[in-house]
Amino acid sequence: MKINVVKNVLAANDLVATENRQVFSKAGILAVNIISSPGSGKTTLLEKTIPALAPEHPSIVVVGDLQTTRDAERVADKAIQVTQINTGMSCHLYANQIAESLPKLDLKKAGYLFIENVGNLVCPGEFDLGENIKVVLLSIPEGDDKVAKYPTVFRVADIVLLTKFDLLSSSHYNLQRVYEDLKKLNPSVKVVELSTITGQGMEEWLEWLKTQRQQSVGAQARFVTE
Amino acid sequence: MHEMSLAVALMDEITAIAAQHQVEKVQEVELHIGVLKQVIPEVMQEAFRAASAGTQADGAHLKMVAIEAQAACRTCRNIFSPASDNFLCPACGQGLIDILQGEEFILQSLTCAT
Repeated sequence: MKINVVKNVLAANDLVATENRQVFSKAGILAVNIISSPGSGKTTLLEKTIPALAPEHPSIVVVGDLQTTRDAERVADKAIQVTQINTGMSCHLYANQIAESLPKLDLKKAGYLFIENVGNLVCPGEFDLGENIKVVLLSIPEGDDKVAKYPTVFRVADIVLLTKFDLLSSSHYNLQRVYEDLKKLNPSVKVVELSTITGQGMEEWLEWLKTQRQQSVGAQARFVTE
Repeated sequence: MHEMSLAVALMDEITAIAAQHQVEKVQEVELHIGVLKQVIPEVMQEAFRAASAGTQADGAHLKMVAIEAQAACRTCRNIFSPASDNFLCPACGQGLIDILQGEEFILQSLTCAT
């Protein structure tokens, strides 16, 4: 016998993601999903970003890795709370894993929740965690052809950070190609040339984050009654 | 690479439906997959084989139907099929578009032993 189902298999993940989004909204938090290949500089970015936002708005960090707590340890003294999710074999985080972490987190004390996803340019772009914004890092040493090779993640990005930009002059990097490939996939995406070593782009990145938070959370916060 | 996650999520759905309909053996699973999902068919077959081992769907045939990508341009209302690396409207060159289809991962049907 044939059973007609016609059901979106990822509906369960998307439902939990929507619930997560509501929790963040109620808590007045901007949830940021940080995606990139391994070694593009996600953790270093957080080490620099969190103290710069901190006086006004502290951060909570959720780190996803297959193994170890090394990334969580690196940000532990910068964020007000850090939790590590070891995914074992899974190459990305699911909405459910974020949902299960939430009861442990003191969300009302934070202005930002940074989710450092597992290093991977394929899968994290496909799974909604309930975040407000998707940040994709692409570092100079990775090469200038990665946008066209991994279109989905760059198509869904809200901002692309070209990290380790201080290494540009010492490489045969076609920056124009990166901008052209991004324009074909996601013409409205914001791109920032960034170096945590020289500080280039950091101010622009921080201002953008603050604006995102203001637009996403600021208006709602006035109406939160709990 | 994410085919295993998709296969596990698929098995959750199949298990629930099998229980609901008191099915003992699933013979065929029909999946409709949007081409923008970046699913590699051979990898999906292997992932399904692994995820279904020991379940009612062990040995079931996985039939995958591809759904082509289609987008609508918000500027000139042109409907077009985007290439994997180019989502600009071919008619007006603008990039403000809506994806109409191509991102699906739908369990279409199960065929079971009566």
